Amino acid sequence: MATELKVKDLHKFFGRKQVLNGVDFTVETGHIAALVGPNGAGKSTIMKAILGLITTNGGEVTIAGHAVSITSHQELDNVGALIEYPGIYPFLTGRQHLDLFVTGTKAVKKAKIDWVVQAMQMGGYIDTKAKSYSLGMKQKLGIAQALLNRPKLVILDEPMNGLDPQAVKNLRDVIVSLAKGGTTFLISSHILSELEKLADTVLMLNGGRIVQQTTMHELQNAGTKVFTIHTVDDEGARAALINQGIQILPGNKTIAIALTEEDSLDKALRALINVNVTITGVNQVKHDLEGSFLDMIKSGEAK
Amino acid sequence: MGTLIKQELFKLVHKKGTWIGAALIVLVQFGIAALAKMQGKIFGPADMFQSTFLGTSMTLFVLIASTASIVSMEFQYGTVKQLLYRKFYRSQVFLSKVCVVVLHMLALFALELAVTFAIKFAIFPQVDLAAKYMGTPAWQYLLIGQGGEILTALLLLSFVLLMSTLFKTNAAAIACGYVGYFLISMASTLLLMVIARWHWVKWNPFTMLMLPQQLQSPDIAKATYLSNPEMIGGLVVYTVVFTLIAYLSFRKRNV
Ligand SMILES: Nc1ncnc2c1ncn2[C@@H]1O[C@H](COP(=O)(O)OP(=O)(O)OP(=O)(O)O)[C@@H](O)[C@H]1O
Ligand SMILES: [Mg+2]
Repeated sequence: MATELKVKDLHKFFGRKQVLNGVDFTVETGHIAALVGPNGAGKSTIMKAILGLITTNGGEVTIAGHAVSITSHQELDNVGALIEYPGIYPFLTGRQHLDLFVTGTKAVKKAKIDWVVQAMQMGGYIDTKAKSYSLGMKQKLGIAQALLNRPKLVILDEPMNGLDPQAVKNLRDVIVSLAKGGTTFLISSHILSELEKLADTVLMLNGGRIVQQTTMHELQNAGTKVFTIHTVDDEGARAALINQGIQILPGNKTIAIALTEEDSLDKALRALINVNVTITGVNQVKHDLEGSFLDMIKSGEAK
Repeated sequence: MGTLIKQELFKLVHKKGTWIGAALIVLVQFGIAALAKMQGKIFGPADMFQSTFLGTSMTLFVLIASTASIVSMEFQYGTVKQLLYRKFYRSQVFLSKVCVVVLHMLALFALELAVTFAIKFAIFPQVDLAAKYMGTPAWQYLLIGQGGEILTALLLLSFVLLMSTLFKTNAAAIACGYVGYFLISMASTLLLMVIARWHWVKWNPFTMLMLPQQLQSPDIAKATYLSNPEMIGGLVVYTVVFTLIAYLSFRKRNV
């Protein structure tokens, strides 16, 4: 598969403060990459470097194989972005913002604007002046500007900021359908549950480096599997399991066991059935992004 | 580049301030005309015509405010990232703004002059365009002065642009522009006294701002110790230098 975005050994200092210290990652064409990291980790800084908005202190960025820097912008023709907060001219209407940046022939322009207004569900206020927009309305307009010209690469910095649940769901659908059509996304967000539903690739940024680049699938299935077992008599169940020498994971209110061997779950269930405890449910605990994120922060602090 | 200039013009014409500024110029001109009509003894029509019924001063006033915000508004509204992450070079983005400042300037000077002549023909038919004013035909005296004003406006605006890119806010730039402008209108006699004492002081940018007066009254050259070509040359050099420094500060700025 082709690589759309490649960031190699990126360094950035703000004055004496080192923010990026050798950032390396790649995003495949048509993938949705989630960039996560604590506040001040440098997510926005990476995005600005990709867009040739800031000088860097070493490293390179290539988009579809072409180098991008503060003085080399040719490839950015195929990139749309929303960084940090939407830039809005209060004296223009939403539609005038789109008119300002849309490219193509007259018919193409109209089609692009109609599409994005509909996709972001902005029909109700697109013709009123942006100074009267609410936070979420401005955010939608910012995203619309990023998507407007149907770029090959879209960079969104905390795009869910200020959006209501309906709008978040809608945005997710738009992103997923564009990605299916071959658009590549780099998205940062602190709403990990949302990223989880979207992302193919997860990039964890901490201490100025990408400490982990994995697929969402790998992340969710990483480590040993854990199951929770729900019964009508948890007390009796615990006793029975301990009796059989089966390890119960500590710290959980519900009974949780790790699949350390292939038949760990099987043994546990048999033990319960043998003592006549009624089992009401068995669930597999998925590793979620939040758990991995917190683990990452913890291991970062430990170092 | 054409695209960028079109986009800058689009923003300019959709800003209310642009139209308020233009309306202000015309209103003041008609106000002064009314005054000259009623108090012809104090405000002589021929003199008021030469001062374009204050049109030129108002034009500079409006242009300073508009130029100060053309770069700083992008920082203020957070639109500068959108502006700069596209395929264009920063130099092109900057140059498109400079072009629009110049176009805006020419448009307002054209407006102000057109209103001046309209007022003359409609309200003061007695002002004779061919009659001598300070030894030169009135129409010629006016146009020479306007040519000088346009050149000094360029210098003034390049300075305002520099201030606004350095400070990222329009308030500071507007203040600098106004102070510079009023300083020269009030302190020129003082400046000429200093130049008489130390000739080299004549090369400072404030002397160049006296170009319109010197073009109209060649005698002033004896006090500025600069010939017209020297003054125009100095003016151009200062304008280019200020614009260049403004560009350099804009070019490497982290946004
Ligand atoms: N213009 C600047 N001048 C100095 N320091 C800066 C500048 N911009 C960012 N920084 C510093 O760089 C670091 C990374 O900032 P950045 O905005 O990239 O973080 P982030 O990961 O996007 O954080 P958040 O999750 O809060 O958005 C921060 O410590 C910040 O203080
Ligand atoms: Mg950020």
